[in-house]
Amino acid sequence: MTRALYNAARTGLSEILAHKTRSTLSFLAIAAGSVVFIDAFSAIVATYARLESQRQVSGMARMKISQNNSQTWSDPDDYIAPPVITYDDVLRLRERVPGLFMVSPEADSWRNVMEYDGRRVVARVAGVTPEWRKRDFVYDLKGRFLDWHDVDQKLRVCVLIRPAPPEPANAFFKSMRKKYDFMSGYDMLVTHNDLLGRMVKIDDINFTVIGVLDELPPSRKPPRIWWSGSDYKVLAPVTTLMHYNILRSHDSLDVAIDAGDEKGFDETMRLVRNFLKVRYGDEDLFVVENQMDAIKESMARNISSSLVTISLGMLAFIAGGIGIMNVTLATVFARTKEIGVRRAIGASRGDIMLQFIVEAVMLGLIGGLLGSALGWFWGVPAKVMLGMTASPIKAWMPLVSVFIAALTAFVFAIYPAWVAAGLRPAEALRAE
Amino acid sequence: MIICRDLHKTYEGGKTGWPALRGLTFSIDRGEFVAVTGPSGCGKSTLLNILGLLDEPSCGSYELDGLDAARMSDNERSAARLYRIGFVFQAFHLLNRLSALENVCLPLMYAGEGKEDMRRRAHDLLARVGLKGKERKTPLELSGGERQRVAIARALANSPGLLLADEPTGNLDSASSREIMDILFALGREGMTVVMVTHDRELAARAGRNIRMRDGEIESPSGHGRSGPRGGEK
Repeated sequence: MTRALYNAARTGLSEILAHKTRSTLSFLAIAAGSVVFIDAFSAIVATYARLESQRQVSGMARMKISQNNSQTWSDPDDYIAPPVITYDDVLRLRERVPGLFMVSPEADSWRNVMEYDGRRVVARVAGVTPEWRKRDFVYDLKGRFLDWHDVDQKLRVCVLIRPAPPEPANAFFKSMRKKYDFMSGYDMLVTHNDLLGRMVKIDDINFTVIGVLDELPPSRKPPRIWWSGSDYKVLAPVTTLMHYNILRSHDSLDVAIDAGDEKGFDETMRLVRNFLKVRYGDEDLFVVENQMDAIKESMARNISSSLVTISLGMLAFIAGGIGIMNVTLATVFARTKEIGVRRAIGASRGDIMLQFIVEAVMLGLIGGLLGSALGWFWGVPAKVMLGMTASPIKAWMPLVSVFIAALTAFVFAIYPAWVAAGLRPAEALRAE
Repeated sequence: MIICRDLHKTYEGGKTGWPALRGLTFSIDRGEFVAVTGPSGCGKSTLLNILGLLDEPSCGSYELDGLDAARMSDNERSAARLYRIGFVFQAFHLLNRLSALENVCLPLMYAGEGKEDMRRRAHDLLARVGLKGKERKTPLELSGGERQRVAIARALANSPGLLLADEPTGNLDSASSREIMDILFALGREGMTVVMVTHDRELAARAGRNIRMRDGEIESPSGHGRSGPRGGEK
């Protein structure tokens, strides 16, 4: 059997070499399937890696309370300013809904002026508490972060966020960045000056810079499926900003919450809504975003797009399989006399079937290997050269891909091999 | 060894088909050297195909070594071709991309021989037909006579009891024909049953027995019962 396989493989290889164009076209069809498969597999792996990273860095059981800005009224006189969430409300929420991993109030004043050494730049200042760093803290910290003492004592201290060096970009993107990035003055100031321990003025009030958060470059940022973006530049105790009227009394705090436990998430949502209803009489005055569902939806979208890609890969494999069937049928008809000779000297139908199936599987194997090499080339060096994230290609992906390619070739070779085995020896010998 | 009774073969075509064999009845004993002669289209090759289990008769019975061909499965027919029958064709029917040695190895491979045994046996057979030193040459690098010797070596690979030769010298010059026939007659003298289709009356006369055919029927089964080739006797 081993000898027969070896001989069939040898015959197959010589046939493949004898018909290079025909064989190459078959390889390419199968290889296309392999490339798409590897890309789809790596996309799924990347999605699960992002999910794990999301769990670690951002948490899964997230929700966010914010003021409902979509109220309607028939007459401007009917408009009643909605109630605001104050810092006291946040403390009370902590008491009423125990066991939450994070309750982080955030409020930002969209445009503030920061002054240092006579230079005045626009900065986005956010009021936060030490809870802020519990989630999505993807920075290198120099100095220290805000602590509860700063918050309780309303100290005039701040932490500056320093941007990562900009990604290489073409002239168009550079010009767009220059035109629309009105924080570029701030970025230049903090990039070129070591402000740690220095005094800066925010809206003409002196603050001491106690820490600098360096944003991680994109290559070091943990991948995530979903995140709530913020482009804060200066972080200060929320109590300080309110005390010095940098945040106005009518500014409501947003509250980012991590329930910690995914299982009890719905119950926590219910408790939070109940708290809002009891405290303000109407829960519709606020929006409680269920971010866990958003994360899951985002993940489902990623997986389903990968499944679509896998379906395309399957189609490519089927096209390749049909190509192999066509080539094998052509080979059977071109080698009818040889089949007759082999039958005459004692080959059984099984021997003939084995020979053509082995030849086809070799086409599939070589196509699969070629596709795996191309898949790796596209997934790693090519994507990096194009500025995309490299695909996380695991060792099993090319193996599975080659296996599927060989299996496809095997399945599609059965019919031509059966035709070959069914030829009557005397008639096959008479073939020209 | 071979018993045929009322053997018919009709090929499909026309309203009633085209009869190639019309009721042949004969037997061939073990060790006989039989020449089958007759004009073109008289059914000689059809008869040889049936005797070689490459084709089936339309009716009648054929027994090989006591086995009824009609009762054999396809695998049993393949096994009989592998172990009991050797073929030598007019057009040689060697695989051109394989070497002489590999061509001879083919039946041994289907018989499941080990690599070393297979190569040793193929070397011996090629040496026996006078092709020592030409084992690595492909058929395209050999003369017609040499190709037919490779074909004979291949036919002998699994030591069959019956050798069927379909005009083995039809494509050869007279010198090569003589050499090939010498090999075949030598095999006959060693006790192998040989059935040879030929147009050559001189060769037929050297066979132990001559079955003359015309229009699918046996015209004259001369010399019935004689064993061994006459031409080979010195």
